[in-house]
Formats: sequence, C-alpha cells, structure tokens
Amino acid sequence: MSFEEFQNCARLYVIGALEPEELQDFAAARKQYGSAGEDFINQCYGLHEAFALSLKPAKASNAIKDKLMSMVRERGQGQSRPRSA
Amino acid sequence: MTSAVDLEPGAPSDVDLMLGIQSGDADALSQLYDRYNGIMRALILRIIHNETETDDLLQEVFMEIWNQAKNFAAEKGKPLGWMVTLTRRRAIDALRKKQAYARAEERLQAQPEQQPLAWVQNATENDIEAGDTRVLMAKVINSIPEAQQQVIELAFFQGMSQREIASHTNIPLGTVKTRLELGLKKIYDSLKELRDEF
Repeated sequence: MSFEEFQNCARLYVIGALEPEELQDFAAARKQYGSAGEDFINQCYGLHEAFALSLKPAKASNAIKDKLMSMVRERGQGQSRPRSA
Repeated sequence: MTSAVDLEPGAPSDVDLMLGIQSGDADALSQLYDRYNGIMRALILRIIHNETETDDLLQEVFMEIWNQAKNFAAEKGKPLGWMVTLTRRRAIDALRKKQAYARAEERLQAQPEQQPLAWVQNATENDIEAGDTRVLMAKVINSIPEAQQQVIELAFFQGMSQREIASHTNIPLGTVKTRLELGLKKIYDSLKELRDEF
C-alpha cells in the first residue's frame, strides 16, 4: 500500500468506515509506516472535531450539570457506578 | 489556538483543564463542561435523535471524561478531538444497543437527499457571526459536493459502514468508497490549510 493509499484508508479508519477486509491491509500498512503513519492517523482525528464543530451547539440545562457535578464530587475519580441489570 | 471556542483573557486552555481533571480537580471538569456541553450535546442529539436519551448520555460522557482523563495525552491530539471521539463512540454504541438503528434508518430512508442539507443548514443560519469556528467548519464541509457530504454524514453521524451506506442509498459500493475518500481528503486538506493560516 502506497502512503497515499494509506492516507485514504486512515481517513476512513478514524470515522470507522473501513470494511473488515480493509482493516487487515491497513493494519499491515500502519506497521510499515511506523511513527509517520501514527502521526497521520492522529491528525485525521481532527476530522471528528471539525464535524462536531460544524453543528449548532445545543446547550444542556443547568440541572444536568448540577447532577453531574454532584456525582463527580460524591464518587471521586475512577469510580464508576455499578450498572443495574 | 488553545481552544476551539473563544476564551476570556486569562482563561485556562483546554489542555490546562484536562491536566486539572487528571489531577482530580472537579472545578476543571466544571469549566470544561461549560465550554463544550453544547457541542457534545449537539453531536449526541445528531446521532441518537432523542432529547432525554441525549441528556442522559451527555452526563455519562462527562463522567467518562472525568474517569478516563488519565488516558488523554496532549502530544497525541487536542482535548476536544479526544472528547468528540469518545462522545461519538458512546452515542453510536447507544444507538445500536437500543436497537434504534432500524428506526433511524427508516427515518433516513424517507429523506436521504435532505441529510447533507440538514447538516449544513445549521451553519448557514443568520444567528451566527462571520469568523465563528462553526462558520469556518461549515464552509469547509459545504465546499465538497452534496453526494460526498451525504456518505460522510451517514458514516460519521450514523456509524454506517461502506456496505451499509451502499445498501441504504442504492449507490454501488465502489462509488461510496470513492465519494468517502474524495470528500474526506478535501475536508482534511482544507482543515490543514486553515491550521497553517493560524
């Protein structure tokens, strides 16, 4: 896979649009291109940011924040609530 | 640029806030929430199309940011990118888990051609000022053909694979792939140009 093909695949990869059979080739190319490949993949995640920023913000109510901060202060960090069945 | 939103002079950067969260500072999370809850909520809402579920998930996402902050590494990317990736993954998981996928698909099938317009419409309303980050992002996305916007919309906001998009739109798989590749490359290149300008 050329680096240009790798770049095309990387952009699909970060949005989860690579098909399973393409993932194998992409993984091999990722090893082949090493840190240059990883740097490029990291840059591709900027696409996520752009898509999110293109949306009109929809602010949540203050009640959501109050509840969140109450949970954070109550539980501390790294403790997740056991999920009910 | 230290943040994707305009900050008051002297306000901590996004990275500063993430470092604060990593050290257990709840006030840092509070500030990050104030800064980005609107963007995260818009993203979740766009994916799962349900206000109540969106609010529940928004809360879960910020709890996850609080609990997983140690996994954020500034050298690998910006905090907003990390948060958006996490949020999108959680929202698409929720969409699939709740088996709402089929319902969303039915809704999309009813108006597939309106999706790209719906995406960009948000950014062309008069209530936003020129120079706003959202205007810039929307201009970038608007600059690609609608057919490419459509497949990117389905992949990014609905979590569809190339095959699912092909099946959903009756477009040949090869065409879906080409449209995705061309559209994403154009957006990527435009973003790079913007970054280089600032």
